[in-house]
Amino acid sequence: MKPFKLLTLLFLTAVLTYSCSEDDSPTLPLGDYEKGYFITNEGPFQNGTGTLTFVDETGSVTQNIFKSVNNKDLGSIVQSMSVHNDFAYIVVNNSHKIEVANRYTMKNIATIEGDDINNPRYFVAVGTTGYISNWGKSDDATDDYVAVVDLDTYTVTSKIPVGEGPEEILVDGNKIYVNLQGGYGQNNKVEIIDVSSNTVVSTLEVGDVPNSIVKSSNNIIWVLCGGKPSFTGAETKGQLAKIENNEVSLFEFGATDHPNHLTIDSGQLYYNLNGKVYSMSTTATELPTTEVAELDGFYYSMKANYGKLYMTDAGNFQSEGSLKIYDLNDNSLKTTIETGIIPGSVVFQ
Amino acid sequence: MKYTIVFFFIGAITFAQTDTIHLLDEVKLYGNFSPQINSGYQIQILGDSVLNTRQQSLGNLLQNQANLYFKQNGNGMVSSISLRGSGASHTGVYWNGIAINSSLNGQTDFNTFSANGYNQIEIRKGGGGILFGSGAVGGAINLRDQIIFKDKFQTQINFGLASYHTQKGLVSSQYSNQKMFAKIVLEGNQSDNDYPYLNTSLYNDNGAFKNYHIKGVFGYKMNENNQFQLFATLSDTDRNLSRTLTAPNNSKLTNAQNRVLINWKNFGQAYNSSLKIAYLNEEYNFYFDKESSDASFGRSTNFILKYDFKYFIKSSLSLHSGIENNYSTAKGTNIKEKERNNIEAYALIHHQPIEQLHYNLSLRKGFSSVYKIPLIYAADIKYHLSSKFNIKANFSTNYRLPTYNDLFWRPGGNPDLLAEKSRSGELGISYQHKKIELKVTSYITKSENLIQWRPETPSYWRPINVQDVDSYGLEFEMRLQQNFGKHAFEIQSNYAYTVATDKALEKQLIYVPYHKANASLNYNYKNFVVNFTELYNGEVFTTTSNTQTVNAYLLSNLEIYKSFLKQKLTIGVMVNNLWNTAYQSVAYRPMPNRNFEFNINYKF
Repeated sequence: MKPFKLLTLLFLTAVLTYSCSEDDSPTLPLGDYEKGYFITNEGPFQNGTGTLTFVDETGSVTQNIFKSVNNKDLGSIVQSMSVHNDFAYIVVNNSHKIEVANRYTMKNIATIEGDDINNPRYFVAVGTTGYISNWGKSDDATDDYVAVVDLDTYTVTSKIPVGEGPEEILVDGNKIYVNLQGGYGQNNKVEIIDVSSNTVVSTLEVGDVPNSIVKSSNNIIWVLCGGKPSFTGAETKGQLAKIENNEVSLFEFGATDHPNHLTIDSGQLYYNLNGKVYSMSTTATELPTTEVAELDGFYYSMKANYGKLYMTDAGNFQSEGSLKIYDLNDNSLKTTIETGIIPGSVVFQ
Repeated sequence: MKYTIVFFFIGAITFAQTDTIHLLDEVKLYGNFSPQINSGYQIQILGDSVLNTRQQSLGNLLQNQANLYFKQNGNGMVSSISLRGSGASHTGVYWNGIAINSSLNGQTDFNTFSANGYNQIEIRKGGGGILFGSGAVGGAINLRDQIIFKDKFQTQINFGLASYHTQKGLVSSQYSNQKMFAKIVLEGNQSDNDYPYLNTSLYNDNGAFKNYHIKGVFGYKMNENNQFQLFATLSDTDRNLSRTLTAPNNSKLTNAQNRVLINWKNFGQAYNSSLKIAYLNEEYNFYFDKESSDASFGRSTNFILKYDFKYFIKSSLSLHSGIENNYSTAKGTNIKEKERNNIEAYALIHHQPIEQLHYNLSLRKGFSSVYKIPLIYAADIKYHLSSKFNIKANFSTNYRLPTYNDLFWRPGGNPDLLAEKSRSGELGISYQHKKIELKVTSYITKSENLIQWRPETPSYWRPINVQDVDSYGLEFEMRLQQNFGKHAFEIQSNYAYTVATDKALEKQLIYVPYHKANASLNYNYKNFVVNFTELYNGEVFTTTSNTQTVNAYLLSNLEIYKSFLKQKLTIGVMVNNLWNTAYQSVAYRPMPNRNFEFNINYKF
């Protein structure tokens, strides 16, 4: 019996040693939120906090992850979030700040705030520099800007003045494209900023109210413009702007059509219009005339990702919303997930 | 025998007359809030002693004294009521009988009203659409100035100093004789209101407010049968709006309200009538940035002509009727100039077939230039079971008309909205014996077509007649008085249990607490008064799915008064939130920590 025991011991020792030497292996998880995706929830409009929901690769849902890790409310109106290198940047509009967290553990690292962050909307990063679109004061149409942030010190190093209502930002090499949606009013431009000089190098006129922007693999930038809504008294039609080599060409919607939520996956554009979802090839020369069957609804946000369409519904805006996930191969509803209050975006790692 | 019959007749006539006069007095006193024509309803009257010892907003007074629930965006901020589980626009607020809820949003902000300088505040719970018109669904609250023709010349000066650099000042002067009455009240309040948000590093850095109220009341007795009355108030409130726990605020809201009412009262042997002409004006300005001059605004005016006629057929039977025309206009940043005219009439029969039983039957119908006003009807009854027990019951149908904002707000306003409707029933029993008073009331209300703003389109919200709500509840009231020699004790307690269910969601409405209670102990010895109040506000839901809440809280307040110089001078010290409890009325909007007030009142 003894030699057997000894062998067993040797074997066990070997296994343990082997395991120990493998401690730094990349297969160990970096944190609870490494694999999966996030949903940003704006939270109640006037008094309360926004939250983050996490859905892991098995589909299991955890609500309110930022608060549970950091024991701190995210803040009022979580507008957007973006992931860059090891970090998550969460833009909290009405609290006038950006919370920086480790994207894998959600541990809060820093808060970008102060007088230079005023009504922040969206964040993108290029290298170690962050760019944040800011509306500025509500009653001043001329104080809107993009804040430039040093991501090593989390301080605003400069402000690039832009036209009224900078919204979504798209990174394209050493340029960033900023949609001027209009903020509290309506605007109709895209500003292009060169990140090496941090200056506006050109301003393109698109349709009214550019609300979303994507880039396709054929190096075309697409800007969906909702048009001015009827309550403005000067209603204009929606338009889809195609930007190729700084040249804008426009696809025109019907006079009272106001499309929203442009998203792209595998060469197909998707958007929401009049309670229906439309799909269009990036090589198409005309707007689609028929909707994608089975996907009807007025969604609060839409994101296409690896053959699936993620669409959020804010419900009555006074309780939990939901996320519906459709398989774009057969347009079937895969699953419905409960979110926080007013789910504003789905963010992939 | 002959003499006996004559005597009997004289006796009967005399009896009938005194009864009529007594009844007339009562009706004169209370108008449509008269207990007589509200036999089957609970009416609570807050009198002089409660109203004029210290200065406070109407919201604070009603919360402390009447166990009513208010939703407050922080101390001094916008405060709205929910009575019996109804919405903020479902309690009618009246000023000497004239409806003064905002024409713009149908609500009353109870922190823009002062509770001071009134003689009485009358609270009538339950549906009261017939006598009070649109919006009196959960209940009705009347602010009343009394005109009494007797020789009196009195001036009252009240000055208060409180925590957070709060100053309050009031001067009230009344001169009256057998023919004339004149009263002027001037009031001003201001506060930095910069209380700390307990358990955080934040404080109320944008909460400062100031307000003033000017009031004039004049009466002239032309003869025994005719009286002329004039009421006027001007008030201005200027508030910075408090930050929440998660978001700073730099905005400001100003509200101005001006009202004039002329009333001609005419009394006859068997009738009394009142002709009222009123002009009401309200305006708000909202400054997103308080330093900027840019503001969004809303303003409305109402011209009201109201005639009430009461005819006493005999002492046990009377007819009450009225007709009212209300022409209003509104304008604002989001409302193009709009107008509407409503004409409404009501009739009520009061009958006392036997001594123990009173009942009223009533109905009301109106016509509007904008929408259809439904026909409503009601019945109520009061029965004296014994000298100690009373039973009260009522059934009513009520409505609320859409407001200017609902109809015409750009974007979203929906001109096709219908009136909201509700049906309500109530049964109560009360016991009164010597110095004990107990009341238990149960009620049920079914409301249909309630207007809700919904995100019907992606770009803006729109109000629609969509919500159905069932509510029911129980209310307990208790009052006990006991004297030990010169030591007088009074204990009062109220408890309300309220269930208000959204029928589609099958959930309790947000910001309606299941439980609300208060208790007060009043001790009086010679010129010394101690008042201790406890206020309990149950948990409320903040999401329509009932998943998130604002915690319940229990508050204690202590007041001590001492009078000098034959009651002419009273000095008071108050401690609010005695145990320094961190609490919120609305989620993420903390209320004040422990705070103090010193008050001096001089009458001569």
